[in-house]
Amino acid sequence: MDWFPLYNSLRVALFSTCITFFAGIFAAHYAAKLPRVAKGALDCLLTLPLVLPPTVVGFFLLKTIGPLGPVGSVALRSSGLRLTMSWYSAIFSTSVVAFPLMYRTARGAFESLDKTLLYSGRTLGLSDTYLFWRVVIPNCKQGILAGTVLAFARALGEYGATSMVAGYIPGRTAMISTTVYQLWREGNDALAYKWVAVNLIISFVVLAAVNLLESARDKPKEHLETLSGRT
Amino acid sequence: MKCLKFKYLLFVFLLALMTTARCGTAQAAQKELSVFAAASLTESMNKIAWIYKNIVPEVSIVYNFDSSGTLKTQIEQGAECDLFISAAQKQMDQIDAKADPSINTGKLDFVAEGTRFDLVANKVVLIVPKGAVNKQISGFDDIITDKVSLIALGNSDVPVGQYSQEILTKLGLWEELNKQKKISFGGSVKEVLAQVAAAAADCGLVYGTDAATSPEVVIAAEAPPGSHRAITYPAAVLRRANEPEAVKAFAEFLRGPEATAIFLENGFSIPER
Repeated sequence: MDWFPLYNSLRVALFSTCITFFAGIFAAHYAAKLPRVAKGALDCLLTLPLVLPPTVVGFFLLKTIGPLGPVGSVALRSSGLRLTMSWYSAIFSTSVVAFPLMYRTARGAFESLDKTLLYSGRTLGLSDTYLFWRVVIPNCKQGILAGTVLAFARALGEYGATSMVAGYIPGRTAMISTTVYQLWREGNDALAYKWVAVNLIISFVVLAAVNLLESARDKPKEHLETLSGRT
Repeated sequence: MKCLKFKYLLFVFLLALMTTARCGTAQAAQKELSVFAAASLTESMNKIAWIYKNIVPEVSIVYNFDSSGTLKTQIEQGAECDLFISAAQKQMDQIDAKADPSINTGKLDFVAEGTRFDLVANKVVLIVPKGAVNKQISGFDDIITDKVSLIALGNSDVPVGQYSQEILTKLGLWEELNKQKKISFGGSVKEVLAQVAAAAADCGLVYGTDAATSPEVVIAAEAPPGSHRAITYPAAVLRRANEPEAVKAFAEFLRGPEATAIFLENGFSIPER
């Protein structure tokens, strides 16, 4: 059995999870500081990929990063880099689709944070950056981790946008989702079932991790992590 | 209370009467034919339906254009279809009880007796994107060179993909292409066309008729004669057709002069029937 689709799906999902982790956290942090109307509008915009059909997302991406699109043609001309139909093209589509999950979970975690921790920190002269990394993040650990795991799961399971942007090139851009579709079209049900089993196993592990994290959050924890973030 | 209940019942009764009355007169007038046709027939069949509507106004045609493999699977799964036009004999054989049992492995019997005929014929061409991204690809032999980093083909369930594999195997290029991992498999001929038109692939194999529909692609070469079996599109009325007379009349129209003119206009040829 050719294991390339598994390897490719995992590496694409890991890359996009990294990207959405930082992008989601920073977007959630800065969006909270905006005035109400701007915050609402930005929120809608950033959550859009969650409700749009993946094929619509794929269509927009193709028109942007495709060889004839504004971003894609520049990339092609300057560095000869093909942004679509390569293995890393899937990183674009999966990041866009997984971003809202990370963003919303992080925002929920930040908003439920006890603000007196921050105020106390500021009275002690600590900088906002220090407070963000050493107070906010550790206290929102559960929410952020859950968001990361969800984003990873979504990136792993993305099909519509990815099949349009990365295509199906055996040995180069094949992922589990596109491989199962291809095998179904070819009538190779036996192999398709094997890939379904692989995907089910990974999904179970991921969801079990989310459940563990959520139950840990519900446990009564020590009130107030110290300001330096150490327990 | 009783008065209100009576008024409510009267309202519902009148509503039912109105809707069924309208239904009655409508049914006598309007017939809907469901036609599943290969994606490459999109432009021609749409024009034909428009003409047919003027000739036989009480019949309206609802199309489902997709790869013939997908359509055949949908028919197998019970989709409502009156007329099926496939881009290759294989998909029609798979649902025809009269066909070779080694192809019709499921022993399916969806084709109505005596209604199958060859509608049009097509050819396969090598296309490249037009304009600056054109890398001077002039023939099939250029595919395995560095001039081509990606070729778009239909997958093995798509007729054009099956013809492409046949052509490339005959030309001795298929093994090498697979080793070079340069093939992007699309789900229908229109997807292959879109990938080449967007310059996402350096070249692709589509039908001559599809190449003609897109201003963003240029034909680089035609499949050499003898490299593939005859590309003929079989059409057949299905057993489950709701209005067999209306469908047979439409099938007859497809063989007639007006439809033939449209097919020829779009680049098809008419095979021996």
